[in-house]
Amino acid sequence: MDFILQVFGSFSLLLDPVNFIYVVLGFFIGTIFAAIPGLTATLAMALLLPLTYSLSVETALMACASIYMAGMCGGSITATTINIPGAPSSMMTALDGYPMQQQGKGAQALGHAAIGSMFGGAVGALLLIALAPFVAELSLLVKTTGKFSLLAFAIVVVVIAQRGRVAKAGLSACIGLMLATIGLDAMEPITRFTYGYSNLTAGLALMPVIIGTFAIAEILTQANSSRDISVATQEAGKTKLRRRDFLPPLADIRKIGFGCYFKSCLIGYFVGTLPGAGGSMGAFLAYTETVRTSSEPETFGKGNPKGIAASESANNAVCGGAMVPMLTFGIPGDPITAIVLGVLVINGIQPGPQLMTDQAGLIAPMLASLLFSAVVLIPLTLWLIGPYCIKIVSIRKDVLYAVIALLAVVGSFVATYSTFQMFLALGMGVLAFYLRRFGFPVITMLLGYILGPNLEEFLRRSLALSNGDPTTFFTNPDSLFFVVLTVVFFYFLVIRKPAKMPGSASS
Amino acid sequence: MFTNKYLLFLYFMLAVSVGYLITAVGLGDPFAENGLTPSFFPILVGAAAIVFSSILIVEQLRAAPEREIGANSSNEPGGYTHLWVTVAIFIYIALFRTAGYFLSSWLFVLALILLFSSLEKLLQKAVISAAIVGLAYLMFQQLFGVRLPTIWG
Repeated sequence: MDFILQVFGSFSLLLDPVNFIYVVLGFFIGTIFAAIPGLTATLAMALLLPLTYSLSVETALMACASIYMAGMCGGSITATTINIPGAPSSMMTALDGYPMQQQGKGAQALGHAAIGSMFGGAVGALLLIALAPFVAELSLLVKTTGKFSLLAFAIVVVVIAQRGRVAKAGLSACIGLMLATIGLDAMEPITRFTYGYSNLTAGLALMPVIIGTFAIAEILTQANSSRDISVATQEAGKTKLRRRDFLPPLADIRKIGFGCYFKSCLIGYFVGTLPGAGGSMGAFLAYTETVRTSSEPETFGKGNPKGIAASESANNAVCGGAMVPMLTFGIPGDPITAIVLGVLVINGIQPGPQLMTDQAGLIAPMLASLLFSAVVLIPLTLWLIGPYCIKIVSIRKDVLYAVIALLAVVGSFVATYSTFQMFLALGMGVLAFYLRRFGFPVITMLLGYILGPNLEEFLRRSLALSNGDPTTFFTNPDSLFFVVLTVVFFYFLVIRKPAKMPGSASS
Repeated sequence: MFTNKYLLFLYFMLAVSVGYLITAVGLGDPFAENGLTPSFFPILVGAAAIVFSSILIVEQLRAAPEREIGANSSNEPGGYTHLWVTVAIFIYIALFRTAGYFLSSWLFVLALILLFSSLEKLLQKAVISAAIVGLAYLMFQQLFGVRLPTIWG
């Protein structure tokens, strides 16, 4: 209860002009990056990561939260207007949003997307605020062996969740784990895989890894891409979007129903808590559930607002869900929470059960910002920039990519003032580019890199405590719980194969 | 073409995994009294990487004929711009300290704008590049207090 009061008390921090400007600016940048096909809010966060050095932790985390929320709803703009989802999480929104645009109801579709996002974001944030302290208390029960099993569970789940490309995900995770082992050993004073190069002794820093993986790889991907969206934007630009049309008729909202919104939020939130699932999975499951329970399933895919409401409610609720494992166990649910974790680590804060109790003052403003972004900034942004969204999408790409590249390369210099970090970011960018190009999920590599050190440390500590007896992972109840959970997930995701998500093989 | 590049990438990953495993084995015995040594985990990861690379290579070799047909239509990359961008970033980093932020960044931004567009309106693009570099300098140095290398020290 104290924590909940602390979160609501943190709204006063938004009255500070510096915090307010960063939150609003973060949301605006996140929306633009999510709206432009090819760019993502993850990229926006990676670019802004170096700037967090000069900000207070609270301000940096508040800005991260608003970018995250913006990233989940911004993609619906291009998904609806030109049938190209700006972000993967808006893939399902395009199914009904674009047909509505073709019927001349594009503004209404964007309105439905904003309402769904607002509702989903708010419910996800409220569930996070209410449940995270309890999850944190429960996580105190997890001891060393249990922590190893939990981390192993997270890596196994993120690998097997990549249906159709499990071997690729496995190799990608191994690459991340390999990168994590470079430098000084965590328990003994010896260096590994440095090959006599002193710059590698401290290991690979998080900042160049994130900037390389998300920003430089994105620039290389865009340089390699032959996709031209100018024709689609020109076509959509002919339709004039007026502010008064964004508000959907009340009858449509009633027809969608509170149940549809709320059920989609719950699906999104719980999907978010799973490592590696992300907004696109949440939107897909909520959409299919809505179609399955609908009395008129044949109308979906032809401009049914219920489809937009379901997918947008779910993908924004994912924001709240994905924060739970990151804050309580230090396990990021998706690339954005991995970067938020990076902000915490860069500022010397270790995520885990103690974070919610000992340093709640740092976390509470972030959750307040998440809720504020959902309830206030989503509708406000649509009202302010909605009529001009097509103009934003058709921004000059040559200038945009040059700016991104400059910020990425100079940003990797900021941490240590060393050109080695810049070369490291370039190396990671080239590696991530080829992984993406050949269909390897980059998130598994990042998760392996982030979780690798703790995974190894807890494995070695567990075996040292049990005198080298490996059955300790099955005899300790906390560890056994996660072993059983891994088996359950393996059964449902690998043995009993669920429906395949459209586009999952290519993305 | 795509299949060959993909296979080359997989062979490269296999070679890296084997090299990693050999280095890991060279770290010493993986087991010590009542526990594990620093070589155990890397040996495990290296072995897993070899297994996954081998599976992917075998899969690819088996499916090569069909993939080649599909690759021509859907996965054809858009030229070699990405290679030029990589080279541009490499040269930029190499020149960053010696040539200073302004000159190296201006050349880098101009090069990227030209790579992503065409050689037309060169003067306009040069001016835009200078403006971007100036704004980024203001943001990093003045707003966020980051010391950027300049020729004048």
